[in-house]
Amino acid sequence: MITQVPHPVLEVHDLTVSYDQHPVLWNVDLSLPAGQLIGILGPNGAGKSTLIKSIMGLIQPTSGYIKIFDKPLPDVRSRISYVPQRESVDWNFPASVLDVVVMGTYGKLGLFRRPGKKEVQIAQDALDQVGMMAYSKRQISELSGGQQQRVFIARALAQQADLYLMDEPFAGVDMATETAIFQLLQDMARAGKTVLVVHHDIHSAMNFFEWCIMLNLHLVASGPKDQVMTEELLRKTYGGKLNLLTQVTDLIRKQDFNPLKR
Amino acid sequence: MEDFLYFFTFQDPSITWVVMGITLLGIGSAYVGTFSFLDKKALLGDAISHAVLPGICLGFVLAGEKDPRYIVTGAFLSGALATFLSSWLKQNTKLSEDSIIASILSIFFGIGIVALTALQKSGNPEIAGLNSFIFGNAIGIAEADLFLYGGLSLAILLVLSLFLKEFRLMVFDPGFGKAIGFPMKGIRFIFNVLLILAVVIGIQAIGVVLMAALLITPGAAARFWTDRLQPLLLLAAFFSILSGILGTYVSFVVPQMPTGPWVVVFLSLIALISFIFSPKSGIIKRFIARRSYLNKTHRDHLMKALFKAREVNQGSMTLEEIYALYPFHKKEIAHSLQLLTRQGLVIQDSQGVQLSSLGTSDAMRIVRLHRLWEVYLNEFMNIAPDHVHESAEQMEHLLTPELEALLEQRLNYPALDPHQETIPRESHDL
Repeated sequence: MITQVPHPVLEVHDLTVSYDQHPVLWNVDLSLPAGQLIGILGPNGAGKSTLIKSIMGLIQPTSGYIKIFDKPLPDVRSRISYVPQRESVDWNFPASVLDVVVMGTYGKLGLFRRPGKKEVQIAQDALDQVGMMAYSKRQISELSGGQQQRVFIARALAQQADLYLMDEPFAGVDMATETAIFQLLQDMARAGKTVLVVHHDIHSAMNFFEWCIMLNLHLVASGPKDQVMTEELLRKTYGGKLNLLTQVTDLIRKQDFNPLKR
Repeated sequence: MEDFLYFFTFQDPSITWVVMGITLLGIGSAYVGTFSFLDKKALLGDAISHAVLPGICLGFVLAGEKDPRYIVTGAFLSGALATFLSSWLKQNTKLSEDSIIASILSIFFGIGIVALTALQKSGNPEIAGLNSFIFGNAIGIAEADLFLYGGLSLAILLVLSLFLKEFRLMVFDPGFGKAIGFPMKGIRFIFNVLLILAVVIGIQAIGVVLMAALLITPGAAARFWTDRLQPLLLLAAFFSILSGILGTYVSFVVPQMPTGPWVVVFLSLIALISFIFSPKSGIIKRFIARRSYLNKTHRDHLMKALFKAREVNQGSMTLEEIYALYPFHKKEIAHSLQLLTRQGLVIQDSQGVQLSSLGTSDAMRIVRLHRLWEVYLNEFMNIAPDHVHESAEQMEHLLTPELEALLEQRLNYPALDPHQETIPRESHDL
């Protein structure tokens, strides 16, 4: 059940990704519409983060290509915003909340130029949107998990992009914060932004996403929520091991070279 | 004293030069080192500083004399080779980073010592000064050499202030940097060049063995005092300059005394002082916090005992009765009693000790928190009534008024605790 759309915001064409000799995503081929809140669902190790990182150019794909706004990534980078996993950074780094959010303006600033008044203003507006204005001077290590997540989302907002890629923004976030963030993301989608979110919880996915991508090493489904959130597709995504694909992966790893790589 | 005045009034222009050199060097290495400390790459600096020794020897052989240009170039190249090897090995082998760094450090340093010993046997009269590269000798640096080291320090500072934003990103979130299109590999490369340069400028003043201390210790010590990057860098530079100048002074006053070890002694002293006295996480601060918490527990226990005595209609308690309750803490209880009497919370008279009206409401709150927590454990966490007391003994000292209000609300103002004892409230609370 893979729905392709005309004039997609994001087109992933036959993408295969491997870590060393270890294929983690097989032939993902999908296209996404603009102005929607899109969830990437799948079990642990399904390749959800890998898909986002490949779109962001952080991992070199083994084969296939990605087009964003019908252009290759380097041409449209300033229109894309990225929220990495919260655990990927050291929150003991000596910085204030505002310092981190200002980093969102670095991309448009470019190398060497220092952030000024305008950038601080952008960052403060972003903090205001996620309800963290009162914490702008706080040292980041003093924040709770949910607050750290909101700081990261504020940093993404400060990038003032059209496409947002978020890697597990709800990990370690309490229910109230999750709902508040989801509402913010829905507002963004309504304003014409496309928001792509890696997510764990099927229950809240049902409530908030308009479009779902379901992954389990390969693409199980991509389409409007009502069409893809069926019992059969969910079972295909979460239930039962992909025995054959896993065995092939092991076989490739033992070979010590990756035949998929060109 | 005469030496002290002579040194610190800078009558001797050569001392002025050395102090200026040490200052520049200190700022440069502290800035670069602080970033590498925050990046958790402290060991790499140590490996590089040991790894420059073969390059120093090679530079000496090629120049035939102690020409600083050759020596700096040689040192830089062998430091660069060590850095490259460590990242290449990390990418292409399954060895862990610490074993790679340990091997590179010892192999390069071993080769360097072999080369140095061989040179000493060669009978070249120029060789005598080469030994100072091991432990450093700031006073022995010629003026011309100082210009080279000072110039390199200035270059480091310049590049660093240009790349401040980029280096901050490299340490905090390199993945994000790559995502917004910054050439993170290039930025890392430039940082590594700065790191090697920071080592190289210090080899003559501080020496290869101890240069890593000048890189890492200032930042590590400064981290005890501040949570912001800019003050952290400034403070690290200050610590570095201070110990650099003091170390130079000692090696000026005492003949044959190497500079490096003394700089490290002063640096360690600063680090130790930071560790002990830091208002944020120093051990004195932690000791005081622990003491005041313990004092509070003793005070709370005493007030609780007096309150419970009143509950069973026993007006006041004798000192013996109180001490009998806490046989192991007589001293502390006596101290608390004194304090509470002075604060007017407790009244002592001929019959014994009892709570004042002010003390009653304080004591009531402690007992209330204890029993509320017991109810919470019992009802919300399904813990048996005979298992809830221990936890409540701890929580009664900790719970804030906000949490108390929340507990009351959640539990719907219970009248009794799991042991069927009344949860005491002031009449206006209800």
